[in-house]
Amino acid sequence: MEALEEEIKQLIIEALVLEDVTAAEIEPDAALFVEGLGLDSIDALELAMALEERYGVKIGDDPEQNRQIFASVRALAAFVSEHRP
Amino acid sequence: MRTRPIPLSRLLAGDGDPALRVAFGRHGERTRRDLVRDVSALAARTAAVGTGRWLLFTADSYAMAVGLLALACGRSLAVLPPNRQPETLRRLADGAVGALVDGDVAQLAGLPALSPLAAGPTGVGARATLDRDAPLAEFRTSGTTGEGQPVQKALRHLEDELAVLEERLGSLLPGDTRVFATASHQHIYGLLFRVLWPLATGRAFQTETLLHTQELLPRLRACESAALVTTPVHLKRLAASADLRALRGICRAVFSSGGPLDPTTAAAVAEGLGAAPIEILGSTETGGIAIRRRHLDGDVWQPLPGVEIRRRDADARLEVTSPFVSVGDDAGGGRTRALLGDRIDLAPGGGFLLQGRADRVVKVGEKRLSLPEMERALGEHPGAEEAALLVLEHAGERRVHAVVAPSPLGQELLAREGRRALRAALAQHLALRFDPVLLPRAWRFVDALPRDAQDKLPQSALRALFADRATSRPTAPKLVAEERLADGLVRCLEVPGDLAQLEGHFEAFPLVPGVVQLGWVLAAAAAWLGGPPLLVGLEALKFPEPLRPGCRVTLELRRSADGRLLRFRIRGERSEHASGRAILAEAAVPGAT
Repeated sequence: MEALEEEIKQLIIEALVLEDVTAAEIEPDAALFVEGLGLDSIDALELAMALEERYGVKIGDDPEQNRQIFASVRALAAFVSEHRP
Repeated sequence: MRTRPIPLSRLLAGDGDPALRVAFGRHGERTRRDLVRDVSALAARTAAVGTGRWLLFTADSYAMAVGLLALACGRSLAVLPPNRQPETLRRLADGAVGALVDGDVAQLAGLPALSPLAAGPTGVGARATLDRDAPLAEFRTSGTTGEGQPVQKALRHLEDELAVLEERLGSLLPGDTRVFATASHQHIYGLLFRVLWPLATGRAFQTETLLHTQELLPRLRACESAALVTTPVHLKRLAASADLRALRGICRAVFSSGGPLDPTTAAAVAEGLGAAPIEILGSTETGGIAIRRRHLDGDVWQPLPGVEIRRRDADARLEVTSPFVSVGDDAGGGRTRALLGDRIDLAPGGGFLLQGRADRVVKVGEKRLSLPEMERALGEHPGAEEAALLVLEHAGERRVHAVVAPSPLGQELLAREGRRALRAALAQHLALRFDPVLLPRAWRFVDALPRDAQDKLPQSALRALFADRATSRPTAPKLVAEERLADGLVRCLEVPGDLAQLEGHFEAFPLVPGVVQLGWVLAAAAAWLGGPPLLVGLEALKFPEPLRPGCRVTLELRRSADGRLLRFRIRGERSEHASGRAILAEAAVPGAT
């Protein structure tokens, strides 16, 4: 899971062209949206697309579920691990 | 069967079939009877608190409709916050008597708060015809002067635009069309297209805002007839992630507004749906101005019925005169004239082309931003002396970029805690007032803003500050030379110093992974064969020496006599980096290029 978390951190940084942050500095449990990394709704769409392209996972249709999926890198890795084809 | 449109002012007058469905969604269906009853109840509750300015902010569109109409009954003004940033709400709360907001909130920004749909004693239920000239709603937007401007709409401004929309576009949407939206009803576009227009014309609207393709698609597909009210960002995602052909014959119209819709997305939607998206040009101040369907009109905008447009000679700026404009000069006959920041060229046939803005108001993620306003906000922060903003591409989207000259205090913070600290401090300051998507995505801290001899800030100088960022690192080697042989291919390749696949491989000693080198071999094979080869396996794979970035190498590909093997080698001047054999499913025959 740790390797996947690292991959996902890299993916976030690359897909969103984040400056001033390295993978090592992203806490796996830290918030991704609003606080923590401070990502926004446009980033969410971009990220969902990047995840689908890389892992084949489709982000579901439940906004409540999505809040949990995108809560942190750890949550995201767990989701990808479970749903990748 | 189409019901006759009912003017907004008469929605509560008891006209039309009370059993008509007005809204549907998570909380079930609402009928016109429900609407009248809920509006009466809420009107009584708000009257008990007071008449005047009320904040109105809801997630549920039916609640928005109820809130708006209830306030209109009580002759109060609905103030629609554009976002939920605390500073925005605080400023708008000034002078307000209460707030209408979804959910259990006793207070909002210090005001008594009511939920529009909470159960309460039923009101008198008097049939009301609303006053066309009474102020109905106030929006807030960035204007050309740079300060957030309040824009009030009287009921007639909205009512008249709805009549024109129905006249011009109603035939596209059968009476049982269900309206879905990604656009917010806190802005005039969403309020008109996803709530009021359906309400006035007997079409039902979805109460929730559906932002995800996965949510939207199945619901659209389940309809006989549907329409989508959306914006360029969401439409681009929808077109990219869904097979729109599944919606042919169902989705009759897709409306897009809030920014330029790129022609590729427009074409993709037209092709998939079998119907071109309808772009709407308008503004909070002017209401709707013009529409465009690229496959019919090209880039030319066609003014809506009742809208007069003029090109001002002095600066080519667009002047709009119509009954929907609410900010500007009186032009007689209930119409108002407004001058916009957009420059235009007139096209034959009464249409026009947009030619860029004369001011510095931009759209990012469909939100309007006055760059001078944000620059001023940055300057107010103790850490910044001055700031200059521009909009550039970032990770595939247009985003705000900031160039900041820190104050002595800011310099100190930079030195002590680094870029991240200063950037976080400035971003937090902006987040109090501006929507998250408008916050700068990239920052450059400079000793002084790059002014030229005329004391101006050339865009080129600002842009140059961001040129150092590699937004896309190369993912392939540079092809320096290639030689085709009878039995193979030889390529001279250069490994880019910033090859993307070097990332993390390895921090202290970057080298090109073996699997990546294999990819280059297969790409060369595909180029030689005219298509990707079908492989059965690889054998004798060796990666004797690491391949470092910046090297020039020769990639050799040779077919065996029987055509079933492709032998390959990647070597440097005095080194061997990769070698092996690819076993083909069928004998290789070089294809025509």
